[in-house]
Formats: sequence, C-alpha cells, structure tokens
Amino acid sequence: MSPRKPMRQEKFPFGIAGVSVGEIERQVPAGEAPPLPTNDRLAVIGKSVPRINGRAKVTGAARFTVDIKLPGMLHARLLRSPHAHAHIVSIDTQAAERNPDVRAVHVITDVVGRAIERDAGTDHGAGVHLPPALYVGAPIAAVAAITEEAVDAALGLIKVDYEVLPFVVDMEDARKPDAPAVFASPVIGTGFEGRAPGSGEIAQHGNIRGPVKAGARGDIDAGFAEAEVVVEEDYRTQVQTHCCMETHSVVADWRPDGLTIYLSTQFTAGVRNELAEAFKLPRNRVRVVVDAMGGGFGSKSSAGNYARAAVALSRAAAAPVRLALDRREEQLDSGNRPGTFQRLKIGARKDGRLSAISLYTYGTAGTATGAGVGNVAQAMYECPNFASEQYDVFINAGPGCAMRGPGNTPGAFALEQAIDELAEKLTIDPLLLRDRIDASPVRHEERRRGAERIGWSGRHAPGADKGPIKRGIGVAQSLWGANVQTNASCEVRLLRDGSVEILSSVQDIGTGIGTVLAQVVAEELGLRPQDITVRIGDTEFPAGPPSYGSRTTASITPPARNAAYRIKQMLFEIVAPHLNVAAEDLLMRGGRIVARSDATRSMSLREAAATLRTDQIGVLASRSDDYGGFRRMMTDAALAQNDLGGVQFAAVAIDTETGIVRVERFVAVQDCGRPMNPRQIESQVQGGVLQGISYALFEDRIFDRHTGSMLNADLEHYKIVGSRETPDIDVILLENYQGESATDAYGIAEPANIATAPAIANAVYNAIGVRLRQLPMTPAAVLSALGRIPRGS
Amino acid sequence: MQHFEWVSARSAAEAANAGTTTVAAAMVAPAGGRVFQNAVIVKAGGIDLLDLMKEGLLQPRRIVNLRGIAGLDRIVEQRDGTLRIGALVTIAQVAASPIVRERYAALADAAGSSASPQIRNVATLGGNLLQRPRCWYFRSVRHHCARKGGETCFAFGGENQYHAIFDQNGCAIVHPSTAATALVALDAKVVLVNAEGASREVALENFYLLPDKDIHRENELKPGEILSTVVLPKLSPGARSLHLKQGEKDSFDWPIADVAVLLDRGAGGVCRRASIVLGAAAPVPHRAKAAEAVLIGKSVRDETARDAAHAALTGAAPLTKNAYKLPIFETLVRRAILAAAAM
Amino acid sequence: MLETSLSMSRARAEINTEPGAVGPSAVPLTLRINGTVRTVAVAPHTTLAEVLRGPLDLTGTKIGCDRGACSACTVWLDGLPVASCMTLAIDVGDRSLTTIEGLSDGDRLHPVQAAFIEHDAVQCGFCTSGMVMSCAALLARNPHPTLDDVKAATGGHLCRCGTYPHVFAATLAAAKTGRG
Repeated sequence: MSPRKPMRQEKFPFGIAGVSVGEIERQVPAGEAPPLPTNDRLAVIGKSVPRINGRAKVTGAARFTVDIKLPGMLHARLLRSPHAHAHIVSIDTQAAERNPDVRAVHVITDVVGRAIERDAGTDHGAGVHLPPALYVGAPIAAVAAITEEAVDAALGLIKVDYEVLPFVVDMEDARKPDAPAVFASPVIGTGFEGRAPGSGEIAQHGNIRGPVKAGARGDIDAGFAEAEVVVEEDYRTQVQTHCCMETHSVVADWRPDGLTIYLSTQFTAGVRNELAEAFKLPRNRVRVVVDAMGGGFGSKSSAGNYARAAVALSRAAAAPVRLALDRREEQLDSGNRPGTFQRLKIGARKDGRLSAISLYTYGTAGTATGAGVGNVAQAMYECPNFASEQYDVFINAGPGCAMRGPGNTPGAFALEQAIDELAEKLTIDPLLLRDRIDASPVRHEERRRGAERIGWSGRHAPGADKGPIKRGIGVAQSLWGANVQTNASCEVRLLRDGSVEILSSVQDIGTGIGTVLAQVVAEELGLRPQDITVRIGDTEFPAGPPSYGSRTTASITPPARNAAYRIKQMLFEIVAPHLNVAAEDLLMRGGRIVARSDATRSMSLREAAATLRTDQIGVLASRSDDYGGFRRMMTDAALAQNDLGGVQFAAVAIDTETGIVRVERFVAVQDCGRPMNPRQIESQVQGGVLQGISYALFEDRIFDRHTGSMLNADLEHYKIVGSRETPDIDVILLENYQGESATDAYGIAEPANIATAPAIANAVYNAIGVRLRQLPMTPAAVLSALGRIPRGS
Repeated sequence: MQHFEWVSARSAAEAANAGTTTVAAAMVAPAGGRVFQNAVIVKAGGIDLLDLMKEGLLQPRRIVNLRGIAGLDRIVEQRDGTLRIGALVTIAQVAASPIVRERYAALADAAGSSASPQIRNVATLGGNLLQRPRCWYFRSVRHHCARKGGETCFAFGGENQYHAIFDQNGCAIVHPSTAATALVALDAKVVLVNAEGASREVALENFYLLPDKDIHRENELKPGEILSTVVLPKLSPGARSLHLKQGEKDSFDWPIADVAVLLDRGAGGVCRRASIVLGAAAPVPHRAKAAEAVLIGKSVRDETARDAAHAALTGAAPLTKNAYKLPIFETLVRRAILAAAAM
Repeated sequence: MLETSLSMSRARAEINTEPGAVGPSAVPLTLRINGTVRTVAVAPHTTLAEVLRGPLDLTGTKIGCDRGACSACTVWLDGLPVASCMTLAIDVGDRSLTTIEGLSDGDRLHPVQAAFIEHDAVQCGFCTSGMVMSCAALLARNPHPTLDDVKAATGGHLCRCGTYPHVFAATLAAAKTGRG
C-alpha cells in the first residue's frame, strides 16, 4: 500500500461564467500550482494571443514532413494491390533489387491497421507468409531508390503472382449469406477499435461480426411497455475519408546509433514506442520528430504500414528514406470514418420523459473492426432502460479508423433526429423537450444561448414557407467523453540569461497547442507569451500526450503550469536571500520578481537568472488526477467526470426545385472547461462545423461494385466544403469552471463536429417537412424525399 | 508522368505541320493493349493534358506547345459584327471581356463559373472545347472502357449519377464543357486550320459527335488540325442570353446540370427565335428543340416557360442513378427562360 | 476593324524556341522567381511545383492533390494565381513567378499575411501558402472587395481544417487597412 501523497485544501472557481460562478473546495496534491481565478482576472490565459507559428505558416517557412530533405535521402513508394481481393502466391523482387537506382526493397509480411484473421499464419505454399491483399490499394511491398522516377520504374519491376478472389465492396451485399468472405477465418481485433470493443471472442458469421452489446441498463422490454409514444426509424451514414491536406508522409533515418523518424503524426511519443517495439530497439534509440503537421483528424495516430516500410527500407539501405502518399493512395488507404446503418427506437411518456432506448446497428470499417456509433444514445439523455446491439460488417475496402468524433458523429445523426421526431409527436418544442430529459446544466445553458442567437423563437412550423425556397432552423447536441492523458509530461527550463523554454513531445496538428503552452508558462512567470520558447513535436523532449480524442489541452497544460510553478518556487528560494525577503513573499510580474510586502525589493528575471549556480534549472512535471476524481481509469489515460458537449443550431435554405441545401447561418455553443485561447478555439469550432457540413451534404466514398475500385479517390469527385458553402458560423464559448486541474482546461475538436449533421438534418425537416435519414443530403436525396423524381426511371 | 519531348510552335501552321495526332486518337488502345506511345499532340493551357498524362491515360512522345503563338489570343470584333475569339484566349479573359459580357452573356456566365480562378487563368477556350470527358471510368487507367477502345461502358449498371440522361448510345458520358453549352446556344462556329494552311468552319453544334457516330472521340477534329478560332455570329439587337450552372457544390465543382438560353424577341415580346441547350445531359451539348418550339411565336410568361421546360426533357432516358437530373434541368430551363426574358 | 486585344501587355521576349524539340532528358531553364533569376536543369515533364519544391528549395508552395483540385500549390504567373502542379516548368518561359516566399519583403509581411496571423486564418497551415497567394492577388486587382469577391477568389481552395471564415475576415480587414 503506497503512502498517501500529501494534499492540501484549495478553493476553485466553479460554475459557468455568466450564469453563476461560485467556489468549490478540492483536495489537491501538495506540489500543484494554486487555483487559477476566472479568465477575466488573468493576464494571458484566456486571451486570443496570436498563434506563435502563424508567421512561419503564412510565409511558407513552416516545415512539414513532406518538405524535409536530408543528405543522401532516398525516395520510396509502396506497391499496392490492383485487386480488391487476392492471395499473393509469390513475389519476385529480384529485377527490382538488381536495378542500379534501387537501394532497398521490402516485402510487407505484417500488416497493421486492419483486422487480423485468427488463422493468419496460414501458409499458401509460398514458404513465407504473405498476407492476402484485401482491398484495391492494399500495401504489398515497398521500394527505395535514388529518385522518385526511379522508384516508379522499380515498382513496375516487382512481379507479383496474384490469385484473384471474389470480393465485395457494398455493405448490404456483404451481409448476404452468399457474399464473398473478406476474411478467410474469423478475426481477432485490430489497432483502433472505434467505440465498440473489438477484441476478445466476438462471434463472426461470414462478414458480420457481433453482436457487441454495450451499456445495457434496466429492462428494455419493460421500458417500452411503459412508453406512451414510440419513435422508431432507420438511419444511414456514409463512409467519410479524412482528406488531410498533407498526405501521410515520413522520412525515416536509420543509423547505427538509432532511428530518427520525421512523421506527420498526431502522437510522437506513441509512435516512438510502437516503432521501438516493432524494430526491437530501446525506446531511447528512437526519435520521432514533427514540426508543422498538415492535418490528422484521427488518421495519423500510429505508425502505419507506410511508416514501418520506410523504416525497414532505411535500415536495409543505410540511408534516409522518404515516403509520401499521393492523393489517390491517401483516399484508398489512410483510414476512414466507418459507414453505419442504425435502427433507433425511443419510447417516452407523454410529458417527454424517456422510458426506453434501443439501438440496433451495423456498420463497415472496411477490413477493420470498429464501426460502432458511440455512446450518445445511451449517455446524452436520462433514460432508465437502454439496450444496444452493434455489428461490424467487413467489405474489401481500406481499414477504417478514428475520425473526428468517432462513433458519436454517426450516432448523433440518428439520435438527435429521433429526439426531434419525438418532440414533434409529443407536440413539445425540441428545446423544451431537451430541457426535460437532459440533465446537463452545461447543455441547458448552451441551448439557451444558442436559441437566442439563432432566433429560435422565430421558427415556423415544418414546411411553412411558401415558394420554392424553404427555410428552416434545427438544433442538435453533442456529447464527447472528456479524455485526459495521464501519461503526459513536459519540462520547463530557465536559462541563466533569463530565457525560458518549455519542452514536450506533444505535437501541434493545427490546434495551436504551442501557443497555449506559451500562455500557460507566461501567465505563471509574469512574462509575455513571446518570451517563452516552445519546443514541441520531438520525443527528445519529455513524452507528451497524443493530439487526438480532444484531449491535448487537458493533458499537457496542467503539467506545463505545474512545471512553471515549481521553477518559480525554485527561483524564489534562490533569489530570496538576494532581496532579503522570505521566498513566500515573492511573486513574478511584468518580467520581474517582486516582494509583495515591499515593491522596491525586486529584480528582473534576467538578473535573477544570472544568480543561478548552473546554466539552467529545469522542472519535469506531469499531471495529477482530476481533483474531483476521474470517472474511469484506463492505461495512460482517464475519463473525466463530466463530458464535453455542445449545442449547435443550423439555419438552412432549401431550393426545393433543385434539391440544393444551403446552410445560411450556424451557431455553435460549446464548452471546453476554461477556454485558453478564444480565437484559436473559435478556429477549431468553425473547423468542426465545416467538416460537419461537409459530412452532411457532400462527402461520400463511391465504390464501383463490379471492379471493387473507389471511383472518387481524389479531391475532385470526393467533395469537401469550399468557400462558397461556408456560412456565417457564430461561435459562443462557455467558460465552464470545474476546479479539476491546474488549468481546468479541456479540448474541443470533436464536440464541435458531432452535432453538425443532425442540426442540419433537423433544419432541413423544419424547412421542407420531410425528414432525410441518410447522409449525405445530396440534391438527389432531397428531390427524392420531396417526391420530385419521376417514377419509372 | 512519362517523359516527352517539347517544342514550341511559332504559328498555327507550324503546329499543324508537326505531325500531330488528336488526343482522342492517342488514347485509344485495343483491349489488353497499351496506349499509343508515339503520339505528338498539341498543348494550349495544358490543364486537361496534364490531368490525362498524370493518370497514365496519355503518354505522348512529344508535346507541341501552342501557348504563346501570336494572334491566337485575341478577341476581335469584325466589321460584319461577328466576334472572333482566338483559341488561346483564356477562360478568365473570356469571362472578363466587356464585349462578351454585353453581347454574349451566356458565354461570359459559363466561362465565369467554370472550374476555379487558378484554372481559368490558364485554361484556354480552345482547350476547354476540346477537353475530354470527366467520367470516372474514362479517367481511370484501371477501367478500359468503350471510349478508350475497350468493350464495356461501365456506367451502365454502374455508378452513373453524373452521367447522361439523353442519347447514351453505348457510352454515357456527358460533354464536359460548359462553354460549349453556351456557344451552341449562341450558334458559334469553330475554325480549324490544317497543315496546308487551309481552314474550314464548322458549326460547333455539328462539331460534336454522339457515340453512335464515333464512340472514341467527342468531336470531329482531324489529326493535324488546330482549332484556331471561335466565331460568334452577329445577334439581333433584341437577343438576350444567359447560362445557369448547378453543381452539387457552388465552389469548384462540375455541373450536375447546366443550361444556356438565347431568346430573341420582337415586337410585343413575341419570341422569334429561341435556343435552349442542356449541358451535363448528353455526350454532346443537347439542343432542346421541343422546348424551343414551345416558345416560338409566343410571349414568354410563366406558363410558356413551364411548358417549354417540361418539353426540354422530351426523349430523356435516365439511367439507374441519374433521374434526379430531370427535375433540376426542368427548373434550370424554366428559370433561364424567365431570366432571359427579363434581361 | 475594331480590335479588342486581350493580349496581356507584359514585356515578353520572343518565344525562345529551339530549332527542334528538346528533351526528353533534362533541359536548362531560366526562371524569374521572386525578382531573382534562377537556372535549373529539368526534364520537360517536370511540373513547376516539382521544380519549386525540388531543385529550387522553395518548399513554401505545397502539393495537396497534384491535379489542380485543391489550389494548395497556387503561385503567381505574371501576377495571376495559377496551380503550379498543373503548369509545366518548361512552359513558364520568361514570365515572372511569385511564390509565397516572395510575398513578404524581408521581415515585412504582406498585409494579407499579417492579417492572417491577426485573425487566426491559419490552422494546420498546409493550405495557407496558396490561400495567401489568392487573397493577396485579389487585393492587388481589387482593393475594395466584398465578401462575395473574397469567396470567389478563394473558391478553388480546399481547407480541411476549416479556416474559411477567418480567411474571409482577414482578407476584408487587410483591404480596409488600405495597404493591401
């Protein structure tokens, strides 16, 4: 039994600014920085400090992984299967290896990212186990050569003997009993598993794996028996690809003394650990570096096949190897948001109280598991009886992975429309119904503020507008578990010349965490953000958290504050004798150390640092548990007591004669604990909304059933939102003080994305009086729903 | 892209004499065969060519650069009131031209709504008219479709949501040029120059070919010919035209339907002449003759516009996934007629 | 004969044609970039984007799709925004090129660049170079753009992070300062 850590009692601001902020008492570990007041009383935290890497990005100086050039660097590409399903009988790489421009060839024998068959070790007579090619674009081998052109030529020299097999690329076709089997035997789980547990013994029949029954509570049959009103409908959401503007890319540099890998990644420390294990290196001989990073959205969380291949090539060639996916490869094989079918049934009393929710869902993550629909149906609203049954359906397509709000995003599309329908059946205003069944005071306030901003009271009955252009307003909510990476550290250093730096392996994937870290340290040390040097994106620095799961801010800002606080304490001890005061009497303000009791006793930080015995002092800090405790502990991470959320309102205009849906105005009310940098957060929220609009209206991965090919593996026919589809997006940020950590800050990326599509769908219903339960809501879908497409066609 | 030789032509005649093949001819291969490796092709803006080459669909031995040939990049009004637009005039220049905007608004509309500003700054009118289809089977080197010399049109029974609702005849492409939609409505002609320096004029409407005429090419450009000029006729003072484009997205998207209308009305607002052309509807710009007939001799009112719009879909034979285009076309035709009548 | 000439009135030397064809192997090219003259040897099939990012080490210009669909690779050719991935380097001739690196003047940022920072019109930054080039070109030709003008000028750009609202605000603000 470990000794209890010393604790102390502190009071923290508690509540929503503008509603009521009181105080809460917490027990905090002794070494923690003292409570921060609300943002209005802070100098730097909570202010819209300009992004510190903004200048580098607007001048083109920012260095992305695709920009890196190392001396002697080779170029690599992956050989990919042209077939949707094939056994690899043999691979002959001799001609490629003999090519004078080629320096290394690597055959992929272990694939990551997709589900693995239980009987994967089956040898198909080739002597070496070669995994089957399970989708067009599946990676087979890789080549490194001295120029990009030479690589393309060399790929053509690799002879692969494929035994082509039947395939299936349509989810409904894959469910049929006579469908071609994607996997030769049942699978045993995979890397990312979405929200549905994917490992362990789960039944699999043909291409259908499940059921997974999660979150059941109460007695579902009794619950429906009590219901006075029932809503039951089917919903479909499409597969969505991440479309990171910088494709997946890597430069791997294997040297005798260790591996350095430049990777466009969301998790330097995680990749470091992965590659150390995969290549049997000690962790401290693997270094992962990322400077500017061109988007991840969940797809760049681990070391994929392309990165591992690059490392293998670099080792074989004893030279740095660059491998960057082209856009077609990116669309085929860098992950995707699974598509889903959901049958959602909700039972309620006449006054709106829910008595039962049941969810039957299946979805496809291609050749991976994890097509769940998250936990919105079971967690958003109060309901004593809940049951769900989820299935994965395999198809011969690239493996899915997490994408911004995995599970909850498709799940909310169904749930929030169902709640809307329930409200209509009960003739209760949808916001009022939510007031009755949603226990969250935060979302209550979000509804209130958003309703006012969008003009909810002016909302008319569904389909009421005369004329071909019909307008409507809709609302939807998001819920996202507030993940915290407990395994998150950073170091703050003070150098003898007074310069200050913060070091962490955490990576800035576009959210601006570097700026926030500068703000945190600056606030604590009475400096300006520009006085802080931020060194991130490198596993040479203490291991920080991943940038996924909307957890970065919550995970790394408390360590930053604590490290800065402790450095400050150390400095006070050193400086106090010089100023003839007690260390407790000192504070830092305006770049100076000042005695509270006598302001004339002060010195500049530079003068203070000059008294250091050594060139630098440094403090390595991590973060404690949330002061009020976590809801659940996992490995390296935990779930906070309170979920993140948001309420979003869409105002749309439908041209009922062309089927075009335009989002004219949008209001997003979100919470993230203590907002650290409002303008950066606004950027993220707008980004989430725009991705949600894109998901609602335009995006769809189109497969050709006959050839098993993705027909729109590009950015031309795979359509993402552009400037003309961008509405006014009004972002309202709640300051929600909870007294949970040294910064009390949480993330926002995913909550900003989850409610958007259902808000639009509900607005569409309000506009035309017809409900669209399938995504995307294309002109064809709208016209069909309106009965405007001639029969017999 | 594969390697190629490069030469810049100093004149249209020199280009025509360079032993060129049409892009269409260079892209046809028998089933199981490789595309023609020895082709010499001309390049104007290069937008479509670079796309085809990057996809591995076109592998010319040599490119003859037309860009920079003096005299082909001008918009010149003739004494007889016609307007001659050089084939190398960019789409941006067409859209910005005051005389095009004033007299041939449909063309200005179509040019202004094409592609993106970046593409418009480089793509030429000639190249735009000659560009190859956007059908995703056609643009895929993995699908050896009928237009490229194979046996199958994959769109039939496949993913045909963006394909033709008329005249499929063995190939379901839609003609890709919105400028062509407008120019056919405006009765434009194209001038083709050959290696001997002789030129011929062809009505643009006749220049395009339906698949049953020749499935391997969209137009009747001959090898060695250069499209040098687009000629717009003198229109009567009462003529008004416009072009409407509807994409799934408003920013940078191909049309799912586009319509050009030219109305010429005389005394009392009676329609003397009407040209109604549907783009993204058929393998060629589709003249909606039945719709035009509804308007002739009548004033344009809501009812006539509605009837004409309905008639515009006469003969439509949608495929499994593109029937949604019908109500969109009907709407665009009606709106375009009413808008032209209000100009 | 009324002549409405739309040839750009830029100083342009005679097209420097070789007597015969050049290539397919590397050919010396002289390019006027950001006010300086650079010489490279590249094969005719090399795109301008590849030349900029490769031998010229001007990696500020990004390649997002290599098909002209995303506009990340936007540079100016004689002041006009073009997709450098859809431009052959050999086709540039003696037209002047401006890349993102040439927009600022030493430490002095272009007003659009400064406004992008101030209005946080940047997230991951990958589309930013191209976006800045389009917005700066807009202000050069239209010092008083409307929101619709800005949307039109950026209509070819794809930004997955969703910077559009802040891009619009930044560009309109830069115009208001009157120095755009």
